[in-house]
Amino acid sequence: MNIIVFVKQVADTEARILIKSDQKALEIENKYNLNFFDEFAVEEAIRIKEKLKDGQVTVCTYGPKRALEALRTAIAMGADRAVLLDNTGLEADDPLIVARILAAFASQDGFDLILCGRQAIDDENANVGPMAAEFLGIPHVSAVVNLEVVDGQGVKVESEVEGGKQIIEVTLPALLSAQKGLNTPRVPLITGVMKAMKAAIPTVDPTSLGIPKEEIGPDASKVVTLSYEPPQQRPPVKIIEGQTPAEKVRNLIKVLKEESKVL
Amino acid sequence: MNFALTEEQEFFKKTIADTVDRIVTPKAREIDEKDEFPWEVWRDFTKLGYIGLRYPEEIGGMNADKVMCMIFYEEIARGSVGFAQSVIMNILMGTYFIFRFGSEEIKKRCLYPAMRGEKIATMCFTEDQSGSDLGATRTRAVRDGDGWRINGTKMWITNGPICDFCTVLATLDPQKGLKGLNFFLVEKGTPGFSTGQIINKLGCRGTVTGELVFDDVWVPYENFLGEELGKGVYYVGDILDEVRLMTGAMALGIARGAYAEALEFARKRIAFGQPIGNFQLMREKFAEMDTLLNTARLMVYYGAWLLEKGMESRVVAAEAKMYATEACLKVVDELTRIYGANAFAYEYTPQRYFRDARFLLYGGGTHEVLRDFIGRTIIGRL
Repeated sequence: MNIIVFVKQVADTEARILIKSDQKALEIENKYNLNFFDEFAVEEAIRIKEKLKDGQVTVCTYGPKRALEALRTAIAMGADRAVLLDNTGLEADDPLIVARILAAFASQDGFDLILCGRQAIDDENANVGPMAAEFLGIPHVSAVVNLEVVDGQGVKVESEVEGGKQIIEVTLPALLSAQKGLNTPRVPLITGVMKAMKAAIPTVDPTSLGIPKEEIGPDASKVVTLSYEPPQQRPPVKIIEGQTPAEKVRNLIKVLKEESKVL
Repeated sequence: MNFALTEEQEFFKKTIADTVDRIVTPKAREIDEKDEFPWEVWRDFTKLGYIGLRYPEEIGGMNADKVMCMIFYEEIARGSVGFAQSVIMNILMGTYFIFRFGSEEIKKRCLYPAMRGEKIATMCFTEDQSGSDLGATRTRAVRDGDGWRINGTKMWITNGPICDFCTVLATLDPQKGLKGLNFFLVEKGTPGFSTGQIINKLGCRGTVTGELVFDDVWVPYENFLGEELGKGVYYVGDILDEVRLMTGAMALGIARGAYAEALEFARKRIAFGQPIGNFQLMREKFAEMDTLLNTARLMVYYGAWLLEKGMESRVVAAEAKMYATEACLKVVDELTRIYGANAFAYEYTPQRYFRDARFLLYGGGTHEVLRDFIGRTIIGRL
């Protein structure tokens, strides 16, 4: 089975992020990781391959040169090959453009199954997976927490829906996005780390994938960033006073009714 | 001149840092508080294969260059020094002589299982009356039939009380001083080989350190680890620079952990209506700590680079060990000042860094011995 995993390199949750003076862009400390949800996707792809004892796991990202590191992490975990769709000169990260490029790559490379994280933890859009599936004309299921390959023809998946889970059978080829809980991503073995260090990762120019230039150029973006704003400072904590627990509760109810007006 | 890590080394650094933060760092406090060998962390970590870091790929190692080794030592010490000590003993000193001089049978019995984390290794130099002064070693080996008979007691042995095998420094002739020294392999279960007192240490808790007793221990001839009798001290010389740089890298790791803690605290802690990082005297501390860290890093990695290139590294390695350890002591000291009284409470982490850092003063040579060595080497025989 040929599995492609779409991944993204994102800023580390502890990286310092500043808003540039024009408020149109961010200045991010040079600390990046493989996206949290993509780790589940990579892990699941490797597990499927190990279980079927057949197939190939290809990891691919659309991003800058530094994203090679995220691809190496996936190889260290056990992916067979990786491809960087170099965004130099394009740089638009509108989910629609990213999805178009990733879909074009998948279509050209060939696949039975595509896995990706349910969303990137930087912009939290959760758009790229479903959009890519639409471009490819294949079914997709989001937020998958359990996955079982049935006879190599389809997959039985469990996905999270509001207030519960739904179980769906999907025919392949399909795209599935991984939710936390799908598996526990492995820590790479030294042999994987060595393989990743030595791996020659090819770079592909997205404009060579046969997509009309006007569909992926800067003008193709449907999203305009008006400004970045820092999150609001949290108001100071108010401690509810009272002699007894009962009095504290009474005072709390009074505050909830009169000050915050939530009751 | 190029100070950058290669892309591969950068990737290795990130991967090992991440691995340490997943497996080791979350257990650091527990390892320190329990002061017992952390078997579960050991199994989780060693199954990844890092014990073979320095050894060739053909035998399951990673064939890492010296810079990568320093990256590893630095990162694992940043996670937990108590755990790092045990791991590094297996990676470096505990298996070095077995790899270099052991027969294939010995390697099968000791080295390969140690590389998989299935056996625990150690090496014993120190005795209750001798440490830096190797020539004063009293543990004695004598020829006996087809082998050797060993008598003596070793002290301050990292992993000693839990080791499966050890490389023992013993003298064949105390009159010969350094030229009488040789290394022998002794395995657990050999009659007369036993463990004694376990040392209750101020820091590096979790590493089991203690006494090993050799009471009329007989080992076969092939357990002599060397090419020629009387060369033991030269073989020590071959590994000494790496051991010293490793100690410096560990100091760098502790210092980085402490620095990160201090930085987070200075950014968050409010006093007089603002984060304390806004105060000039706090900023001065960070300027000082960052300078110390950068200088120590340059020295340790310069030493590693010299070693990798096969260039003369004795003085730089000694200086790097000494400087990085002293820098680390200053950084952990500043952390305890920035953190205020809570740094004095066992409930918070600064006190652990403070205690752990002290241990590095002794391993790899005391700074008094190192200063004398550096000065003597520079001035030369007059």
